[in-house]
Amino acid sequence: MSLEFAYYPGCAAKQVQKEADWAARAVARELGITLHAMPQATCCGAVSLRESKPAFSLAVAARILSEAEAQGRHLATICNTCLQTLSHANYRFKNEPELLEKINSVIVQAGVRAYKASINVYHLLWVITDQVDPALLRQKIKKPLNGMRVAPFYGCHNLRPAEILVAKGGESADHLDRLIQLLGGAPVAYNGHDKCCGFHVMLSDATEMRTMVAKNCLSAKDAGAEVMISPCTLCDMAMGAYQKPAENAVGKEINLPEMNFAQLLGLAMGINPDTLGISRLHVDPSAALVARKVL
Amino acid sequence: MPVYTFRIQRNQKNAQGTLESRYQEYTLELNETTTVLNALEELKGNQDGTLTFRQSCRSAICGSCAMKISGRTRLACKTHVGSVARDGVIELAPMANQPVLKDLVIDIGPFFRKVHQIKPYLEEGPEKATTVERSSYDQVNHVTQCIMCGCCYSDCTMKEVSEEFIGPAALAKAFRFVSDPREGQKTARLQELSEPGMMWSCTRCAMCIDSCPKDVKPMEAIVKLRTRGMQKGFVDGPGPRHALAFHQDIQKWGDLNEFTLLQRTVGILGSIAELGTALHLLKKGKIPSPFPHQAQGVEQLQKIYKLLEQNPIDVETKAKEVVPE
Repeated sequence: MSLEFAYYPGCAAKQVQKEADWAARAVARELGITLHAMPQATCCGAVSLRESKPAFSLAVAARILSEAEAQGRHLATICNTCLQTLSHANYRFKNEPELLEKINSVIVQAGVRAYKASINVYHLLWVITDQVDPALLRQKIKKPLNGMRVAPFYGCHNLRPAEILVAKGGESADHLDRLIQLLGGAPVAYNGHDKCCGFHVMLSDATEMRTMVAKNCLSAKDAGAEVMISPCTLCDMAMGAYQKPAENAVGKEINLPEMNFAQLLGLAMGINPDTLGISRLHVDPSAALVARKVL
Repeated sequence: MPVYTFRIQRNQKNAQGTLESRYQEYTLELNETTTVLNALEELKGNQDGTLTFRQSCRSAICGSCAMKISGRTRLACKTHVGSVARDGVIELAPMANQPVLKDLVIDIGPFFRKVHQIKPYLEEGPEKATTVERSSYDQVNHVTQCIMCGCCYSDCTMKEVSEEFIGPAALAKAFRFVSDPREGQKTARLQELSEPGMMWSCTRCAMCIDSCPKDVKPMEAIVKLRTRGMQKGFVDGPGPRHALAFHQDIQKWGDLNEFTLLQRTVGILGSIAELGTALHLLKKGKIPSPFPHQAQGVEQLQKIYKLLEQNPIDVETKAKEVVPE
């Protein structure tokens, strides 16, 4: 099977969380996944655009999906919110042909190719755990995690609503757990694994957001986590970069290194930490990695 | 038949009035399609009469038996033991985000007080219509399936950290009235719903969509409420300001201009308050460029936007028609 995807990293991976993009490209190369650029793709608009301009948000999604379709490829992303937004639109386009026709009739007037709803929206994590040969993945692991206790933080939009996602969603999702096991780590079971990182209320409900970050991290830490990983650039931002503000908000020390799943995967593959942008992490994972001989 | 272990949270108030909590285990041999409620009755009847839980209709209509079952809030009468056992163990606890009275029973009062906050009845007023089109049911049908069991409230990730937040069920109920042609105060309702702690405090984690036993999809109702609120001009708050920033950026840049997003969402004063956080982010270069990369063909989006402003199209999801059986 040829693993070729139209690659849609999302706004955060192009700017503040670019290390996730670096890591995604590096691990994809090793695993024989080709990520093709989408030069016309714009921001997906997230739920915000669905709220402010519902019809425009579907047109934006159709234009993005159409670009991937014109390449003859499914789309793969590394942002959970992009995943949910594009999956939601795609689910509607596949199930509501009249809606697709209405949207197409508008976008073609602007010179956009009509979308035929023939492609799927994937997360790169799902591609790695469900489509890459596990034997190949195992063979690429040069620096196994040696039993490192890793907390999987799935992120809401990787899981819910389960009905719109093409992979196993909701409570049955186990992608991150399986990945951690493949890397030689021990997935930590903890209360926060399917909770919200608070990213989308970072500005409107700042204290609540920071409390969410603290609760999730502390529940992972209490369960023995040495490191936390997430498949989402926005969760990374919240759980990693905002961990210090969260500590300040709740008055408790957390100090739990958090990184993108592709960064930990890359480290286990023996890829140079600089290529993976490890130094851009707010909570330094070096000690945890050295303790398990990953670094 | 398989043997199941029930790990049940027992809660009891001591003489000082504080709640004492412990786990107690019971085992039962059951068919995997036995409901959790039937199992609980078996335990209460034959093993431990002190075990306390609420139940009534046994048919997923009354909502009384909502409880945490293996980590998620579900109706005990609707849940098969085989579908929630993890290595033969089923963990039961009272609903979260609500005061516990005894064992698996919570005080549902605070939940209903939140529901009452949105005035769950039709009001007289200038916006009252006297004819009801068949299409009106398109929006109302979904949310009227709600049985007020509180599953969404118990699993809500915002409720976990916010006493103030009104919760998904009350917001879904509010949407039912905002969408009802007979309602006379639609705009006034949207104004109240735009206040802090109401519709803009939802994180959109979609937990309520997955935990609802009646497929009400509260978050979808919240998204629609926000659209309607903004359409009525209630745009003065970080939530709506943030939402409105997206369509401008997408037309101009293609990508989100994260650099100016903060100031546009929380204003100058809010940005100064965020300065400490900004400096913290700056340490690792996590401050976005003021000039994001521009996608090819963004002018297509400007044209699409104009076309849709000139000829708006209705894209709202619609509930399936309910036909009496």
